[in-house]
Amino acid sequence: MAMESNWAAEHLQVIRTLMERSALYRRALAPIMTYNGVLGIVGGAVGWAAKIDSSRGFIGYWAGVGLAALAGSFVLVRRQALKESEPFWSPPTRRVAQALLPALFVGSVAGLLALLCPTWDFLQPRALPPFWILLYGCSLTGAGFFMHRGIKLLGWLFIFCGSALMATRCQTAGSLSSLNGHFVMGCVFGGLHLASGIYLYFTEPRRNET
Amino acid sequence: MNPEAFLQLDRVIHEKGRLAIMSMLAAAPELSFTEMRDTLKMTDGNITTHIRTLQEAGYLSVTKSFQNNRPLTTCSLTTAGKKAFTNYINLLEEIIQQTKPK
Repeated sequence: MAMESNWAAEHLQVIRTLMERSALYRRALAPIMTYNGVLGIVGGAVGWAAKIDSSRGFIGYWAGVGLAALAGSFVLVRRQALKESEPFWSPPTRRVAQALLPALFVGSVAGLLALLCPTWDFLQPRALPPFWILLYGCSLTGAGFFMHRGIKLLGWLFIFCGSALMATRCQTAGSLSSLNGHFVMGCVFGGLHLASGIYLYFTEPRRNET
Repeated sequence: MNPEAFLQLDRVIHEKGRLAIMSMLAAAPELSFTEMRDTLKMTDGNITTHIRTLQEAGYLSVTKSFQNNRPLTTCSLTTAGKKAFTNYINLLEEIIQQTKPK
């Protein structure tokens, strides 16, 4: 009798595990992270070298980098889906997109308001980098519930970096200059993505050995 | 223990490979053939046989389409499949309840 019970409990456990696994996002993230990492670092370096110092220029420039990151990630995900003969807009992809969207939307609206409305004093334009980093961290931790565990950790790293930047601003008078903003964006967005891409490249299971 | 619950277990679903396919599809509206094959580490032939059995039982529907000129096969549970899977889970829980020490 105990054997029957154990057998049924084990069966239920296997079913639960498989149901959880089928709901997880399974695209290889290493190329996406590496692409975004390189783009972030190059973006930061170009922004700094080109001395894009005005608030409007800074926001517009990083909005462009953000769009390039989004478009590139989209192409990489789609290419993987086609290669694996799997639907691009699969249920796990939809869940991840839905989890990422709210915080990214808030970040975009904040950037847009700072760009278009000079009298908007809710958030100084130069306080945007820590704000964006925090929001991006929040979006990653949300999406991490539908991805492997490393993504949640990456999200927390972004949140810690954003918090540390806010704390730095509390200690030093004045705000980040745009040139320092490029440095921060390049180091945090570029550096963390690239580090994550390299880590995933060596640890992520390849297809057919999942 | 009342053997009734055990005897009522659906034999089509009860097989290990088919139960795995049903479990995956129960958590997702649809899954591609390759996704299931890779996750379950089954061979093409093995998974095709199980899918066919489930399809013949009316538990699973298969859709064949093209995505960028590449064939795309997706599977999803039918209403009967969802009902059969729920019944199977309920019976397993019943077996556990029956054998629990009072």
